[in-house]
Amino acid sequence: MNTILIQILGALATILLAFIVGMFYGGAHRKVIARIQNRVGPPIYQNFIDVLKLYSKETSINHGVMQHMGPVFAITASITSLMFVPILTDGNWFSNLNFSGDLVFLVYMMVFGSLGMALGAGQTGNPNSAIGVTRGLSQMVGYEIPFVMAMVALMTQFHTTSITGMIAVQQQSGTWLMFSNPFAFMAAIMAMLGMFSYAPFDIVTAPAEVSSGPISEFGGKYLGMMMTSGSIFAFVKLALFVDIFMGGASNLVVLVIKTFALYMIPVLYGVISPRYRTEQAITYFWKWPLFFGFIAILYAAF
Amino acid sequence: MYNDKNAQTIVDYIQNFTRKNSLFMLAYGTGCGAIELPATLTSRYDAERLGVRGAATPRQADLLLITGYLSTKTLKRVIRVYEQMQDPKYVIGFGSCTINGGMYWDSYNTIKLLDKYIPVDVYINGCMPRPESVISGFQELKRLIAAGKADGAKKYKENLEWYRENQKKVLKNWPLVEYNW
Amino acid sequence: MNSLILLLILMFGGALFAFILNKFVPALRDIFVVLLMLGVSYLFFSTGISNRLNFDVLGIHMQWGFTSASYLFGIIVVVLGSLALIYSTAYMKGKDRLGYFYMNFLFSIGAMLGILMSRDLISLFFFWEIMTWSSYFIVIYSGNDVDRRGLKYMIFSAIGAYSMLMAIVIVNSFIGSFLLEDVFASIFAIGSGYQIAIAILLMIGFGVKSAMMPLHVWAPRAYSESPMSYTAVFSGALSKMGVFGFALVLFNLVSTQNWLINEVVAWLAAITSVLATFYAVIQSDAKKLLAYSSIAQIGYIIIGLASNTYLGVMAGLFLAVLHAVFKSTLFMAVGAVERQVGTTDMTKISGLIRRMPWTFVATLISIIALAGLPPLGGFVGKWMLYEALITSGHYYLVIMVFLSSTAAFLYSYRILFGMFLGQEEPEFAHVKEAPLSMLIPMLILSGISVLSGSHPGFILEPIQSAMASFGFQSNLPHESWWELTVLFNTWGDKVALVNVLTSIVGVFLIALAFITIKGYKNQRYVTTKDISSSGEIIQPEDNMTFQIDFYKPFERAIWPLLKRKIDDYYTDFGKGLEALFDFVRRFYNGNGQFYAIYVMAFLALLLIAGTKYFGF
Ligand code: SF4
Repeated sequence: MNTILIQILGALATILLAFIVGMFYGGAHRKVIARIQNRVGPPIYQNFIDVLKLYSKETSINHGVMQHMGPVFAITASITSLMFVPILTDGNWFSNLNFSGDLVFLVYMMVFGSLGMALGAGQTGNPNSAIGVTRGLSQMVGYEIPFVMAMVALMTQFHTTSITGMIAVQQQSGTWLMFSNPFAFMAAIMAMLGMFSYAPFDIVTAPAEVSSGPISEFGGKYLGMMMTSGSIFAFVKLALFVDIFMGGASNLVVLVIKTFALYMIPVLYGVISPRYRTEQAITYFWKWPLFFGFIAILYAAF
Repeated sequence: MYNDKNAQTIVDYIQNFTRKNSLFMLAYGTGCGAIELPATLTSRYDAERLGVRGAATPRQADLLLITGYLSTKTLKRVIRVYEQMQDPKYVIGFGSCTINGGMYWDSYNTIKLLDKYIPVDVYINGCMPRPESVISGFQELKRLIAAGKADGAKKYKENLEWYRENQKKVLKNWPLVEYNW
Repeated sequence: MNSLILLLILMFGGALFAFILNKFVPALRDIFVVLLMLGVSYLFFSTGISNRLNFDVLGIHMQWGFTSASYLFGIIVVVLGSLALIYSTAYMKGKDRLGYFYMNFLFSIGAMLGILMSRDLISLFFFWEIMTWSSYFIVIYSGNDVDRRGLKYMIFSAIGAYSMLMAIVIVNSFIGSFLLEDVFASIFAIGSGYQIAIAILLMIGFGVKSAMMPLHVWAPRAYSESPMSYTAVFSGALSKMGVFGFALVLFNLVSTQNWLINEVVAWLAAITSVLATFYAVIQSDAKKLLAYSSIAQIGYIIIGLASNTYLGVMAGLFLAVLHAVFKSTLFMAVGAVERQVGTTDMTKISGLIRRMPWTFVATLISIIALAGLPPLGGFVGKWMLYEALITSGHYYLVIMVFLSSTAAFLYSYRILFGMFLGQEEPEFAHVKEAPLSMLIPMLILSGISVLSGSHPGFILEPIQSAMASFGFQSNLPHESWWELTVLFNTWGDKVALVNVLTSIVGVFLIALAFITIKGYKNQRYVTTKDISSSGEIIQPEDNMTFQIDFYKPFERAIWPLLKRKIDDYYTDFGKGLEALFDFVRRFYNGNGQFYAIYVMAFLALLLIAGTKYFGF
């Protein structure tokens, strides 16, 4: 009984950590964009205010049960994936369900949310939502392949498919996997650009083209829940990359430094880029990233 | 929960703080004044530092900005968009045209006073108002929100009959849809 | 009487009786076929796997009986058969030639059971032909052979049958027996060239039925044009006979030295699944989409079998069972939509979710299982397949599978959106939910999909004994099926399904409760016509749903792959043959003079050649 209570408390702490870090990173993203455009920019805690305001909206409109459940699917996927990603390497802190699933599971779990969200967006009947969803799914086919190639390369190289196993490999050898298999790192980083859907890959929620796409009919608490889910999910992705390629983090400060450094890659790549067309975005991932993935597997296997 | 004018509880205080510092703005670029918005939002004046940012659809927006003269044809769209927004919602009338018709005061197909059709919280006058005055308009709205006085949506709900009557006067043979929040 | 004979007599006799019954008392027909099928199922489950029947026909020794492998497939056949027949009674109501339909339906189920119970090649071939013919008759059920789809099916089946026959003859000339036991025992004694030839010939035969590339050309039309109640069995069970055959060939007739065959089969299956998925993505008809998706899914199954590792084979068989479950549910759901709405063209239908909620639920669950998302059964199969391929060193193969199953999300979403989501149109306001006898089979099958996601043991248990009969020793700890919830790969990495389920369901319920209770009073429902569209007011008759060219950007991206269909190669081949025959026909112009000249020319040739080479 006691252990279950402690587990639940640990899970809540993890969620809170992911939420706060993700929110601040979102604020930092806006700040960076503003500074590069020579603006002052919103305060770094602006995203907290936005989310609180969205939750405090009084009315909320839905077009049916699936739209009502769409954000719930999204946050379920974010939190469940968070439970399976190791946050810190040592100590019993934040080790929620780290030993119950492996990378293959996580790849699927991370897709779950966007598909559930897509169902919710579909029910609104807004054509922009459906267009946004098709763009998102098409883009996903693009970036999943190099990402999976990088993962398969690492799995074959180190004979483990679990994230904890990969952390253990790095702790034993003392080198980060981004140096052990640099090609896999390249492929995965390029795939990460698509995963974050910042420019130039922000074709899903392009406000000027499809008026924010899947979320165009979501407001108030629904939008709030999706922002929450999005920031948790951003943290999940960053923590996963840190665990796999950068040797994990032994304490929170290291974690924040490493994730922030990683987070700046899509952000900085994004601020200076225009937006791709959908098929350009897909084929982008099927050129150099695919090549790097291919080399990475060869490098790992032979 | 609408704010009691006399006594704000701590919850109200926090709610109003978040509401005033996070305004998702739907700029309905009707008239020539819309050209001032890019200047307001970009590097020179940077409204985002005040928490004002653009929203793509009325469902996400808090603030409707009517930038200038409003022809009757556009008015139906504006009413529709206003009704699709979710409470609490605010309207800013931008430019002299929304106040008294401005230089279109005798035009046959523009409305003269926006407040007769949808409840306006803040007017910004000028033809056209410069970004500085737009920002001061935002600040005025923030002050109203903080005081719990920006309750246009509530007024609209209470006086729906009156607004509908006015709308029907200019929008002949146009079926007004039911108010659906 | 031996229960095996009783089983076959009941099936085939019952089929004929159903035909006669339909002539005289059509009212009793539905009840009769359902009761018959339920009786046969009971008989099947009471027949053990130890029952063997030996007899001689025309001096050929034959043997019938189930092994634990064929028993596994038999379970699929009888369960799907019963449910599809229950579904049929409502789906086929009011159509004509029902006696013909039910007779062929029962015939093909009987033939499938016959295939599974035959332990010698002759009866295998015999039942295989009955299955082909009865399914052919249902494919051309509607009477006219649109687009020659029936002909295509028949030609490919005939090619398959001939190559099977050839293989059987070769086997017999070497071994002198048709019994599978003898064949398996002494196949490795004969030359390895013949071994490969036999394996390839048999695999062509089985590959036609399992719609493997490049023999899949018949499948999309045949699946999509036969009545949906039969397609549920066609795609769910009948194609699994091909899988069963593949299993027999790959595990018993191919020695481990010939690993190249396994590789080639796996790669063919992988290419099949990728291309078929891409084709499924660009379809706009729900039936055709599902047909292509069936081809792709059977690709996964065969990859699993061909990987020849313990986990891979288990994944293949698990996916075989699960594909039967969810794909037949999907075909049934599409059939329900077709019956209630009148079309399955997704560019015409939209927004049925409120009209047919239970059909939507069944479709949603099956789609989640198809897409392989946790926590449903499809994920278990996919997980085992990936882990098996990764741990056994099939690096690039696993990428192909990943590509295909990621692209599968596209059509998964398409089918849900196309039929059930989108704007609710007034023209579909009259549509009612499907009758109960169609819903119950769908919901039962969806229940299986759900249960197998967290407790896959009840499917893995029979699979394990089936694999033992293929010669794979179990390495799973023997537990009761309820406890088999943690899966391991050979490197010791695991996924704990119950933890996954609890996490997902727990978070989902809490978040749902939060979002429902928060501001419950001010929550409003609006129709799908009330959407933000830059202020434009959408009238009830305006259809704003985005349906046509749904995945156009994706199509543009993958266009180089799809430019040329395999179909076209066959058409070109056929055209080439026609041109050849045309050319030959020129000689036979019906003029006696010309024939005389041909004879003279031939004689002259003969003379010249004779003097030159043979010297007379
Ligand atoms: S107030 Fe002046 S600038 Fe603004 S819309 Fe009217 S005429 Fe144009």
